[in-house]
Amino acid sequence: MGKLLFEWDYSSYTGAKKYPHLFKPIDIGNLTIPNRIKYAATEDNLNGRDGFVTDAGVAYIRERAKGVVGGICTMQGVYMDEGRQGQGYVGQAAAWDDKFIPGLKRLADAIHEEKAVAACQLMHCGRVGAIETEYCQGPSDVPQRLRIFRPVQEMTKADIKQCLKEHIETTERLLKAGFDIVEISGIVGYLLSNFLSSYTNRRTDEYGGDIGGRMRFVVECIQEVKKVCGDVPVGIRLCSDELLDDVGGNTPEESMITYEMSEEAGVDYMSVTLGWQESIYPVISRDIPQGNWLHLAERAKQHLKIPVMMAYRLFVPELPNKAIEEGKLDIWEMCRPMIADPLMPKKVLEGTQDEIRHCVACNVCLARLFRDAPMTCYINPVCAHEWDPKYQIKPAEMEKNIMIVGAGPAGLECAWVAAERGHEVHVYDKREELGGTIIEAAKAPYGDDELYGQIRFSKAKAEKAGVEFHLGTEVTPELIEEEMPDAVVLATGPNYIKGTAPGFDRADVVSVLDVIKGTAEVGDNVVVWGNLKPGIGVALFLAKQGKKVTIVGKEKKLGKDINPSFLWRYVGYLRQNKVTAYNDCDIEEITDDGVTVLTYAGYRIPVKADTVVTSEREANTILKDVVQENSIELFVIGDALTPRNLSSAVHDGYRIGIRI
Amino acid sequence: MALDPEKQISSLWKALQGSQEANRRTFYQMRQVAIEFAGPDANPFDIGVKAWEIIGKDMGKSNLPRMNLLKGEEGLMMNIARAYQGLWTTNGAVVKIEKGKSPNEIFIKWERCPWPTSAKEFGASMKEDLLGCDRYLQTFLDEVNAFLGINLKIETQKAIPKGDGVCLRRLYKPEDK
Repeated sequence: MGKLLFEWDYSSYTGAKKYPHLFKPIDIGNLTIPNRIKYAATEDNLNGRDGFVTDAGVAYIRERAKGVVGGICTMQGVYMDEGRQGQGYVGQAAAWDDKFIPGLKRLADAIHEEKAVAACQLMHCGRVGAIETEYCQGPSDVPQRLRIFRPVQEMTKADIKQCLKEHIETTERLLKAGFDIVEISGIVGYLLSNFLSSYTNRRTDEYGGDIGGRMRFVVECIQEVKKVCGDVPVGIRLCSDELLDDVGGNTPEESMITYEMSEEAGVDYMSVTLGWQESIYPVISRDIPQGNWLHLAERAKQHLKIPVMMAYRLFVPELPNKAIEEGKLDIWEMCRPMIADPLMPKKVLEGTQDEIRHCVACNVCLARLFRDAPMTCYINPVCAHEWDPKYQIKPAEMEKNIMIVGAGPAGLECAWVAAERGHEVHVYDKREELGGTIIEAAKAPYGDDELYGQIRFSKAKAEKAGVEFHLGTEVTPELIEEEMPDAVVLATGPNYIKGTAPGFDRADVVSVLDVIKGTAEVGDNVVVWGNLKPGIGVALFLAKQGKKVTIVGKEKKLGKDINPSFLWRYVGYLRQNKVTAYNDCDIEEITDDGVTVLTYAGYRIPVKADTVVTSEREANTILKDVVQENSIELFVIGDALTPRNLSSAVHDGYRIGIRI
Repeated sequence: MALDPEKQISSLWKALQGSQEANRRTFYQMRQVAIEFAGPDANPFDIGVKAWEIIGKDMGKSNLPRMNLLKGEEGLMMNIARAYQGLWTTNGAVVKIEKGKSPNEIFIKWERCPWPTSAKEFGASMKEDLLGCDRYLQTFLDEVNAFLGINLKIETQKAIPKGDGVCLRRLYKPEDK
């Protein structure tokens, strides 16, 4: 048994009984961690452009520290050089001078105040760094595959020595700031991974050559950091598979050698990752099944004696609990699940798992990083606003009777938030079940079923907060006048519309909702009208059934309502399923033979079709007038206000819920 | 309204040709801009060739995400040849790819190319047109070579600007000595 920083007794919690392997201690070096949970380092871009820690960053990390219930909470990787070559993100924290120690100490203190173990990462971003400078550094000047990154300058031996010195000095600062664990980052294209990889390291000196040579710099870093740390554990994050075989990257066998050499050099744990930013394979999007990568942790365990930890599509506690039991994993790491719900493991422990706001693996939190934006979450409106009192749920100044029309994601989000604030909330929906159009959206293929998790979450929260549901009840002007609530929230979802071109009134023109419900007859040759997410979802749904599908949409770009870090997955599946898309086009006419597509420039393309599926939407304000005529406070949210996506619905619902 | 497919296709065809011509014209207009900026001491030939070098390097960079070693160097060579073919075809050329006798070589044949005509029209020499293409192909290849740590080469065996009727280029992997 090692040194225990904080006492935790989980024995009375239902979650500890249900998931006993997640809530048992483990030793990392000389430190005993009370459970198997770790919030893994995540770049939040919440620091100042000068690298100083901000209130927003401290509040963000404090909430995650609360969530790990005694486990490890890792702050983001710090850059270590004044020249900022190692800086990969505009809001990355800096630690190249003692002047940064007070800010870093605030983070360590915040983690400790929540009785969690504070870890910090050393992160030189290598060939994906130099966000503020002209050139980035790497072992060799291999051209960038992606234009977003800077040209690479080959490091001299003096540069390598300097970088090593910066690792040492930064470690000293992290220890002064009070961190309990120091983690070295060598993943996704950062400097250490550049040295390791046969793709980016073509040096002929002692820092290149075979895997032993390519590991030299990493081994030196580990040894030097260990010397500074003494009893403080040192971990490392390395790729178990770079997924760079198309450009001559390391083999998985070589990756395992890097693991063994790291252990030999003295690291106290291994955090297993996979893929680079330059990899062409999907790793973390929701089309990848949960638990898909656990075999990599298992393989690492076969090569190592030190504890092995891993994140990557482990969003539910059942998977890591079982993996730990079976000896495939030691510690459950999380980034995105705790961006979506910082208290996720705490809720697991307390047995309120149904109140977890589950990440939908949309990767908007990743996409914003490359657009220099601060942390944001598709479904967690409070994410990165933890510091801001305006975003918190506070008791209402005056309790109201609120009628919410629509039990979709916007209405349900608004309902539970308003009810928690003390309002009396009634949710009406003409359907017999909760979820609105997410019910249909979640039936699209490639993991979209995970979208329904948001409905489960808000339902549980709403029920707990005492929201009353009136399902199978269509709200009419008469009902509003009869109930006369203090406020009405219109969250009816959008109107699905038909075009005005000749033929839209035909029987073979059907709605996206009816197609997914299975109540519409669909032929073998289908044109989907609308090139946003509903159109893409139904196109894939039908193409998977073997139908020939063509998308025709007015937007210039396909899927402009889908974030770029996920859109490429849909585009790939459309291509794989041979779906053609005519963007910046409209339907001019529907006839017995099919559809005439009219391009923006006036060209016409005949498309054979026996069914047209409409997925275009417009705002739905049908009850607005009656509410206003009765001088009732009115709010319109989600797609009823203007058709957008699940994220906008949830964020609208929350924002109105906290101010109504 | 009855759709007349012939009318639609002929309109699109004209638009495509117009766009290809505009593309070539734009290159030579920008070349002229560079010549005037460079002043009387600059050699238009050098400026034109430099422009093709820069374009080739940038097109090479644009194609890096599509380069893939999984099918071996032979597959990669075909990958590169198809990239060249695509780049010229979109500008109005007819380009064919033929495998060589050895797996280490591929021949790329330009059976028709509108660029020499454009060069004449805008007062550039055939020497510049030929060397410009060579530099374009070379700097493209240099970028791919540097990216993947390989050493492919390209050589021009016949050239339309020299009166050979076709451009014929050999993309190959030099034999190890």
